[in-house]
Amino acid sequence: MKNSTAMLAIFLALTATGSAGGTPATTKAAVAPAAAAAASSARGDFGPPQGEPIHAVLTSPPNVPPPVNRNYPAKVIVELGVVEKEMPISEGVTYTFWTFGGTVPGSFIRIRQGDTVEFHLKNDPNNKMPHNIDLHGVTGPGGGAASSFTAPGHESQFTFKALNQGLYVYHCATAPVGMHVGNGMYGLLLVEPPEGFSPVDHEYYVMQGDFYTTGKYREKGHQPFDMENAIAEKPTYVVFNGAEGSLTGDKAMAAKTHETIRMFVGNGGPNLVSSFHVIGEIFDKVRYEGGTHEQENVQTTLIPAGGAVMVEFHTDVPGSYVLVDHSIFRAFNKGALAILKVDGPEDKLVYSGKEVDSVYLGDRSGPNLEAVTAATKAAQSGNLTLQEQVKAGEALFTGTCSVCHQATGQGLPNVFPPLAKSDYLAADPKRAIGILLHGLTGKVTVNGSEFNSVMPPMNQLNDDEVANILTYVLNSWGNPGGRISAQDVTQVRAAPAAATSKSEH
Amino acid sequence: MIRAMVAALCLAALALPAGAADYVAIPGGSFASVLPPDGKAALAVVAPFHLRMLPVTNAEFLQFVRANPQWDRGRIASLFADSQYLAQWGGPSNLGAAGRDQPVTRVSWFAAEAFCESEHARLPAWYEFEYAAAADESHADARADAAWRERILDWYARPSTTALPDVGSSPKNFYGAHDVHGLIWEWVGDYASLMISGDNRNQGDPDLLKFCGAGALSTQDRENYAILMRIALLSSLKAADTTANLGFRCARNATGDGT
Amino acid sequence: MKRLGTIVLMIATLALGDAAMAAPALPGGTLPGDSVYQLDIPLTNQDARASKLAELRGSPVLIAMFYTSCKYVCPLIVDSMRSVDKALAPDERARLRVVLVSFDPEHDTPQALKAVAEERHLDLPRWSLDRTDAESVRKLAAVLGVQYRAIEKGDFNHSTVISLLDKDGRIVAHSSRTGEVDADLLAATRRELTTR
Repeated sequence: MKNSTAMLAIFLALTATGSAGGTPATTKAAVAPAAAAAASSARGDFGPPQGEPIHAVLTSPPNVPPPVNRNYPAKVIVELGVVEKEMPISEGVTYTFWTFGGTVPGSFIRIRQGDTVEFHLKNDPNNKMPHNIDLHGVTGPGGGAASSFTAPGHESQFTFKALNQGLYVYHCATAPVGMHVGNGMYGLLLVEPPEGFSPVDHEYYVMQGDFYTTGKYREKGHQPFDMENAIAEKPTYVVFNGAEGSLTGDKAMAAKTHETIRMFVGNGGPNLVSSFHVIGEIFDKVRYEGGTHEQENVQTTLIPAGGAVMVEFHTDVPGSYVLVDHSIFRAFNKGALAILKVDGPEDKLVYSGKEVDSVYLGDRSGPNLEAVTAATKAAQSGNLTLQEQVKAGEALFTGTCSVCHQATGQGLPNVFPPLAKSDYLAADPKRAIGILLHGLTGKVTVNGSEFNSVMPPMNQLNDDEVANILTYVLNSWGNPGGRISAQDVTQVRAAPAAATSKSEH
Repeated sequence: MIRAMVAALCLAALALPAGAADYVAIPGGSFASVLPPDGKAALAVVAPFHLRMLPVTNAEFLQFVRANPQWDRGRIASLFADSQYLAQWGGPSNLGAAGRDQPVTRVSWFAAEAFCESEHARLPAWYEFEYAAAADESHADARADAAWRERILDWYARPSTTALPDVGSSPKNFYGAHDVHGLIWEWVGDYASLMISGDNRNQGDPDLLKFCGAGALSTQDRENYAILMRIALLSSLKAADTTANLGFRCARNATGDGT
Repeated sequence: MKRLGTIVLMIATLALGDAAMAAPALPGGTLPGDSVYQLDIPLTNQDARASKLAELRGSPVLIAMFYTSCKYVCPLIVDSMRSVDKALAPDERARLRVVLVSFDPEHDTPQALKAVAEERHLDLPRWSLDRTDAESVRKLAAVLGVQYRAIEKGDFNHSTVISLLDKDGRIVAHSSRTGEVDADLLAATRRELTTR
């Protein structure tokens, strides 16, 4: 109650001073505050529409209509058509999308809180399906869905007042709803607060969606919708703005350095929640869930399915900033990435780019691996002694094997088998070569205990190293001794994987 | 005596008019409909009936319009059809570029009913259509078959920008009827009584003041969305509406009379 | 023989084709294309008097559909129509016809209709309760936008629609409201009653 009175007071003040920005000729207050409050749903009813009806300017993604720039409630006429059309969803892959306004997501609608919207929904005569619309910003049954159910070749009309400000999803709600939404029937409705937003350099419109096809990811040709996958929530594609690559390359969003960007980001679902993140940027302001309050300094924000968010950030340095769903396999294996390309002069103080590129030897650079270097030299000259092998093997063991088998070769009870006094090793020393090369899964019994773990293949070791490690192990902790040569290892490597040791993927 | 003969001839002639369309016999039965009669789980019962083997074609409808000019698109009352009625024809009583054997579309419920009356038939009831439509080529009830569902959905997923093929292009189903799926939507006599809300989420939301009896019927098996979508389309229509993908075929009671 | 049959058939077809739908030639000028009276259906009222729907042409009509054994909504429909009727001035009221047509011709005989008319003290003959054949019920419902369905035990599920027809039978207003006077419907009715 208080808020609307305050609003009305501001409005009256503005009208009285004759401020620019589309004030109507009459300066009479729209309606007496008490009556308005009583008849309306609390905060957002600023009375009946004033002035001439306005035909809403709708835009296709990623563009956004200009700010409303009005300080009185008006009647806004929105005409939105539904078109079923075949479009690419990925390179060489087409899909029959059901669209609002011919695009996925559908046209962006921008109005002001308190506006009265006369909504016309038209269903293209070439369409097969009936469609309707549920706008999350509508207070009323079905969000408009029951009043807008339209057969192909027909048009429906209904009127609603936008009582609440916010960024709202709209979508088709015809049975089966999941299929209509899954085919791309969603978009965003922005109901600006009465005072509007602060100006920014660019505004963009992005909407994530998950798509379900019978074929696999990037399987070429025309792909039909797959209801089983949709029910199981196993999308084939997760993309921004209806297709992989819709906002990359020459279709990337653009900006310059030292500019402010506002993005209206929605999530049409039908199933997945988005963890929205722009790689290399931090959101200065997040109107989380598209509502009224802001969070600041946010890296990644959640967008519920059927929800939206407004993010603001400023650009400092040039480069390609990648929008992703940070459930990262969706970004790299299902297509959930988009690009904002920022041009302009570099700023090394903020981000320097790569400064030094030098060799990093890791563990190998330390003094403890001198033994390895010595053994390698000796092996090359053909004079490798058992001692040298053991010393080299010990150094390598410490970095690689002791993590699991422990420095004392004890292993971990019930988890990693012991190497110390191991009957398994003693039974067949050369078998161990295959284990290092190919890994080992499944049950083994060592010194009377059963182990059933997973040893990955040691792909990083060369033949000399395998030979040296094994020689060290065989000559330590009560093991029977012996020697494994690099040639032994080469032979085993060349042979196909032994039946007893399964390699792991 | 002569009067009796004439009457008999009349009846005989009425039963099989010259150049008559073929009807296939569909045996009666009870089945689990997506719209149970009691709104819960009762089986729908269908008496034996005859269904036209093919949808009505442009040529057949043209013949009807020529014999009944009050139904041509120049003369028809706007009460009975919207402004797109037969818009695909060249003129009120000539086809122009429209194919003779294409299914006639852009016909309203009133026009479809009138045509069926003219061949001593009627529009099929929803239950009759649903019963006949449950079949594929070799089974009376293929609704549990995912392949049957996929084929139907595939048609829904295809945009309708290409010209309609002629009737009879698809193989006949178990009962001998063609094109029950995959060609056009079809009117049923009681399309208006399917009575689910256009908004899918209001299932089981009885509004006693709006409906006597039990509240709006809800669809029983939401996963059979192939049928659901047909109901959705029919529910979106009013009797005078026409659409580019909506045609019809007629049905008769098994006794052979028109009602 | 065959030719005779064909000729008979053609005549029969023409007759049938015309019967349900042709516009009757009545005085009052050409019937508008969207007039409900384009639908030529027979009516029988509570006094067993036969007439045609189109005979209502000439004065505004409030029309709805009901059935006598309806327990829930139909009494409310009658009440709603009565509340509009009562709110009119006597001379306005005299020019308004109120018609209710039954969904259920099988059970709603003229006697059944008469019983309801008397029970509810309806102002006959300005008010009338009518029945028609099943096919005509379907067509009238289609024209008025009434949805209905026969369910078990002689009951019907049906939507509530009260339509206001102008003098020429065009639908100019309709209401789904029951239980209170529909102010919009009343205003529209008044407008129709004062137009020449």
